[in-house]
Amino acid sequence: MTGGYTGKILRLNLTDHATTIIRTSDYEEYGGGIGIGTAIFWDLVQDKSIDAFDPRNVITMMSSPLSGTLTPGACGRTEVNGIGPQAYPIGWFTRGNMGGRFSSQMKFAGWDGIVIEGKSDSPVWVRIVNDEVTFEDASDLWGLDTFTTQEKIWIEANNGQKYGKWIQIGLERGGARTTARPAVVCIGPIGEVKCRIASLIHDAGCAVGQGGFGAVFGAKNLKAISVVGTGSINVAHPQALIEARIWMKKHFGLSPEASYKKEYMPGMISWTQPPGTDPTTEGFRAANLGVAFLAPESSGGVACLGCSRCCRPRLASGEGNQSNCVDYGFYKEWATERFGRYTHDFNRAVDLPQRYGINVYSVRRGIDWLWCLNQRGICGHGKEIDTDLPFNLIGEAKFLEILFDKIVNGKDIGLDLRDGFVRAAEKWGRLEEDWRTGLLMFPYWGYPEHGLDVRTEVLWGYSTIVGDRDMNEHGFNYAFFFYPMQFEDYTDSSKLPITAQEMVEICAEKLIPFEGDPLMLDMSTKNQYSEHLAKLTAWQRYYSRFWLQGIQYCDFGWPNFVNVLGPNKRGLTPEGEVKFFNAVTGKNITFADGMKIGRKVWNIQNAIWTLQGRHRDMLRFAPYIYDLDLDLGNGPRGAHERLIGWGGLFSTYPQPVFEDGQWSFKNVFGRKIDRAKFEEWKTIYYKLEGWDTSTGWPKRSTLERLGLGFVADELERKRKLGRELN
Amino acid sequence: MPQRARQVKAPLAQGYLVVDSKKCDGCCSCMLACSLVHEGKENFSLARIQVIMNPYGHYPNGIDVLQCRQCVYAVCLQVCPTGALHTDAENGNVRVIDEEKCLGLQCMKCIDTCPYLPSRIIWNHERNVAMKCDLCISTPYWNENGGLDGKQACIEVCPMEALRLVRKVPKQLDAVGYDVNLRGEGWPSDKT
Repeated sequence: MTGGYTGKILRLNLTDHATTIIRTSDYEEYGGGIGIGTAIFWDLVQDKSIDAFDPRNVITMMSSPLSGTLTPGACGRTEVNGIGPQAYPIGWFTRGNMGGRFSSQMKFAGWDGIVIEGKSDSPVWVRIVNDEVTFEDASDLWGLDTFTTQEKIWIEANNGQKYGKWIQIGLERGGARTTARPAVVCIGPIGEVKCRIASLIHDAGCAVGQGGFGAVFGAKNLKAISVVGTGSINVAHPQALIEARIWMKKHFGLSPEASYKKEYMPGMISWTQPPGTDPTTEGFRAANLGVAFLAPESSGGVACLGCSRCCRPRLASGEGNQSNCVDYGFYKEWATERFGRYTHDFNRAVDLPQRYGINVYSVRRGIDWLWCLNQRGICGHGKEIDTDLPFNLIGEAKFLEILFDKIVNGKDIGLDLRDGFVRAAEKWGRLEEDWRTGLLMFPYWGYPEHGLDVRTEVLWGYSTIVGDRDMNEHGFNYAFFFYPMQFEDYTDSSKLPITAQEMVEICAEKLIPFEGDPLMLDMSTKNQYSEHLAKLTAWQRYYSRFWLQGIQYCDFGWPNFVNVLGPNKRGLTPEGEVKFFNAVTGKNITFADGMKIGRKVWNIQNAIWTLQGRHRDMLRFAPYIYDLDLDLGNGPRGAHERLIGWGGLFSTYPQPVFEDGQWSFKNVFGRKIDRAKFEEWKTIYYKLEGWDTSTGWPKRSTLERLGLGFVADELERKRKLGRELN
Repeated sequence: MPQRARQVKAPLAQGYLVVDSKKCDGCCSCMLACSLVHEGKENFSLARIQVIMNPYGHYPNGIDVLQCRQCVYAVCLQVCPTGALHTDAENGNVRVIDEEKCLGLQCMKCIDTCPYLPSRIIWNHERNVAMKCDLCISTPYWNENGGLDGKQACIEVCPMEALRLVRKVPKQLDAVGYDVNLRGEGWPSDKT
């Protein structure tokens, strides 16, 4: 077995509480994470058109060969794959990913991944201690929130031994020991009632939010999985691994005590960031520090296992711990408006979605929508949508608690909201209108707008719509949007520490296998339906399917295109990804090799979606994306009176454009997507991928070139193979 | 048959690893680096520095960094029946273990008698020997000079600069002398 892999994947059959083992070597060609997860799903799920809640749905929780190793960003993440119930109109085969330490403990226990299938007759949790796996009665955990659940399991999983000392594994003297609490992933009450926007929660602040996998756990009567291990992860070249880590720190890193500079932003370059507050760094740190940014209480930082970035807080109150970015941003504006200042109630509000186990992205846009309907006299007590939700309490933790309790209890509008906000809108007869006006900001596959708009940041929209869920990949977003927007006059390149031209040139040389085409990065309106953008979309999909979600380099740090601390402002990509991977595994792959595997995985996924019923005609954004400009005072902002949440922070939207022979950052507010041109772009994209342009289905020739003849055979059997001539 | 414990008058170590648990972010890179350079693989249970985290802890609690203290009065030295656990005179009297002399499972006295929780002597269940922090004097998987005049892997990789090697003997009472303020001028001041 190559370094980095343990060699075994644990297969849990919840129906008969049995376990078997899958050899990792059978799937090693796919890398790890989403690659192996997708390939296993393909093999084990004979009928890919089943519903997410069907017991035959298989969920994989995969590590990567770099999990549990000294690789920054890739050590602690866990990738979850399977059919999720969140997407609309079809719950696509999808993915989610969380930080923390679950995958590392899984590997210390000797497992590269966990495959979950079947359905238990009664609630269970699974206890994994090295190679000992038991199904435990979860009836006393059912109904508990996720934090309480984890605390109870920490005690039960180690037979009541107290933490703070060595925990003996097994009874024999001289046996293995650990000081670690078991890593637990679990669902809260929202997942138990199979709410389609339910999350999986791990520790604090770590969630597989999008996809609705919490609901799948609930449908399978699976409350939690706990894992702790004391085994070793083999590293092929230990010397090379520690050298890579020190190399990264020395040449690309930042002291935690260094003063912030705006040019640190692209690619989230910093070696680390100090906890604490500094008003001069709000734009950069607020997303990472969460409540600690606001709260007048002592705080420190937390990182995922093995990571060099310290992007999450820990607080004196212990409430709001490890929550950053949308974990706290989803409610910040509402809370600020409600109280006019920070109050500790906000810490509690931040913890509530995690305790209940619900996806905050959906909650954010869902609350915006319900509030708008309330303001219009449509939703409220005795109204068309009859609810006693106390809208006057929005901004307080109490409002969230009432809303979540309604979902859990199935009372009031809670029963409808178990299907998520988009399906509730459909049931209430509001979907068409609220998608047209933009009140319901769920623009793609029923997923909530990320705060980064499709019309301005088209790559985000394209990557999402050709895929399965809100893309949530920030490589270009940091470089092209968050970096320039920090400068008052970003259109004047002479005032920028990194000019638009420098940014584009550096990025373009790193876009293997499409390197050397800077127009891939021209985000001007005239270029947004071009083959260049199709190539960029393809690059993003391949990169994500291998390096990001396969090898599980964290999106908060990778890709690292531009780095002002690096040689000639060059970041770690593509050298960094490869350096760590080869050191751990002992393989000798190139960045391009990884991208080829990513393409292969991407093609299997498109085949799965095809078998689930996808056709190119379904790849459409919500109507407001085509019909309304994104501009202040117009479109959804106008419709909402005031856009609450993340997107409300942005008063400008820079992107790099190539105009009159020059690169610059330009504000692209005020544009929309052209329906006809987007349809033409889909054809260009399908051609580039080698898929049938009339259906979007994979072609045999393409699949065979990628070594996926077996996928073509299955598609042919199901009469879903793309036509070669199209 | 294990020999009777000898009373060892240990000269002071000339270097001590101190930490700042307020600065530490719990990434455990120190543990990963320690296991990697000493054992050539990643294993939390084999790391000679331990970081215990409680995700729901109240700052500054919730993260405990637990390293060998190179004790002035090193009980582990005194109870070792074979002299496996000894001071390395050539390397500043750092307390180290000669694994070839370690009796392993037959003994484990150093582990049992370490007065600190968790024991700073690490049990290697894979090789059946006791291990402890040697300040990287012997790192078979890292081509760097360690020890007092060299580098320590945990310090080198720590992203928070929350570990440091000091020469002055820390206060021996409780954790105070070993969990110190390593925050410099660039560090944000505490809000309370």
